[in-house]
Amino acid sequence: MYGWIWRHLPGNAWVKALLSLLLVLAVVCVLFQYVFPWAEPLLPFNDVTVDNQ
Amino acid sequence: MRVIVRTVSELCITVGTLIVLFVVHLLFWTGVRADAAMGDQIDRLHAQWSRGSDRARAAAAPARYAPGRPFAIMYIPRLGATWHKPVLEGTGAGTLKKGLGHYAGTARLGRRGNFAVAGHRRTYGDPFEDFPQLRPGDAVVLTDGSTWFTYRIDKGPHRTVPTDVGVIDPVPRDSGYRRPGRYLTLTTCDPEWGHSHRLIVWAHLDSTRPVEAGEPGALRR
Repeated sequence: MYGWIWRHLPGNAWVKALLSLLLVLAVVCVLFQYVFPWAEPLLPFNDVTVDNQ
Repeated sequence: MRVIVRTVSELCITVGTLIVLFVVHLLFWTGVRADAAMGDQIDRLHAQWSRGSDRARAAAAPARYAPGRPFAIMYIPRLGATWHKPVLEGTGAGTLKKGLGHYAGTARLGRRGNFAVAGHRRTYGDPFEDFPQLRPGDAVVLTDGSTWFTYRIDKGPHRTVPTDVGVIDPVPRDSGYRRPGRYLTLTTCDPEWGHSHRLIVWAHLDSTRPVEAGEPGALRR
């Protein structure tokens, strides 16, 4: 998978490295902004109230 | 064969990285975001309080707090000399990311009945991380911009189950209080990283003083 991405990135090794870094940053950004906040309520750290549910 | 081994190892590395990132998110990033959000709420309160005269605002105070909005700042010296957090109306997940949450439907600050507040024990700034260290006699001080309210803890931390809604009743169950009064209840989760139980402390209103008179004794060192 990672080999496939590496082969399909354009340019020489330096350009490829830079592009991969950007890709990684983009993925981390999406994870922190959208995926983790969504997944977080599924875990038990958020229940601090007493209620009837 | 090689392709399978490679794919499986890449998958393992990816999943491992994801888990590490998620833990970083929980332990670190939610705290960064929550601290910023809480600071923001406190700034908003101070800005709001510096506008207009306190007396006029107190007289014009609406009968209900606006949902999701901050209305007070809480200080608990036992949790740290600099520990102070905004109190917002409501206990929704979004509200509790920005501060402590006042159970809608429980008494207003300083009034007769039970002023009940919930807060995160872990993640989102860990406001109630040291909750188990609270002891009877400890002060819980709140201000709404015009008055300082000093509550004294009478009982707790008391461990109960999440469905035990009687603990935030006007005369809280199991608290030892017998007659109506001006009470405060704090709730958080227990164990630290779980949600099987809740920790509760109860306090009664000990004294009030106008903000012009300066900080109450409990906050002076």
